[in-house]
Amino acid sequence: MGAEQPPYAEQADERLVDRCREAVDEAAFAELVRRYRGPVFRLAVSILGQEFAPEAEDVAQDVMVRMHRALGSFRGEAKFGSWIYRIAFNHALNVKARVRYRAPHVSDEALATTPSSDRSPEDQLQDARRQRAVQECIAELPEVYQSALRLHYWLGTSMSEIAAMLDAPENTVKSYLHRARQLLRAMLAERGFDAR
Amino acid sequence: MHDDDLMDQLLRDTMAARPPQLSPEFDARVMRRVRPRRLTPAGRWLIAGYVVVASAAAAWLMRDVPVSAIVAALAISVPIAVGVGAYGRRIALGD
Repeated sequence: MGAEQPPYAEQADERLVDRCREAVDEAAFAELVRRYRGPVFRLAVSILGQEFAPEAEDVAQDVMVRMHRALGSFRGEAKFGSWIYRIAFNHALNVKARVRYRAPHVSDEALATTPSSDRSPEDQLQDARRQRAVQECIAELPEVYQSALRLHYWLGTSMSEIAAMLDAPENTVKSYLHRARQLLRAMLAERGFDAR
Repeated sequence: MHDDDLMDQLLRDTMAARPPQLSPEFDARVMRRVRPRRLTPAGRWLIAGYVVVASAAAAWLMRDVPVSAIVAALAISVPIAVGVGAYGRRIALGD
């Protein structure tokens, strides 16, 4: 009789990958899906933007299916997480190129803060215009900056998780965010807005 | 307030919407897509019956056709059928 295996939830990714490959273990694959569905979806939605969440779910699903088919070619040279995030990043970029001219499911305005009743209508209008300008400027940033901004500010992802998703050290992610804020400030100033 | 802090706050306000959630059927849909699709026994009989009837009909219809023409027809049609089948499978799997 062999040594008793720990439950799937306690096993390392690489061990689960081995189980999927050796024994076509559906439960091991389901555990990998459970572990990575959330981060892969967040990464996809951070690339596609707030208004294309349904497409991001499709991307996450495609990535899981591709993972299943490509497990045999995973050699373990990189971490399993880095490997799957790279698949997700590239696939989300391809989908973004296809959907960018399509009408969004939700408008940008609906995603910002709801107007507060203690502010004057003029201030609320100015806030709405500024937030719209911010959304438009974000869409002009390099992809990796857009993704880092949305992961950090919108999806509340931790620095270490963003670093893993973007395959960059944490300090690099911090510099992405700093540089993105600098670029946004300059772009907003060009459009006649300030951050106040 | 420092400029960077103001920008920070503006970004938080701009991206204050509730993050989207995956639908509850996500796992089930993934598992359905990765499970090998097997024909039902009735489907297998149907395919086998089609193969037998089609082969018999083709042999009878081509009884007067020279062998070289049959070989040429197979050399053209089989690769096309395999290619179209593979392409259809790729589309069905979402590649």
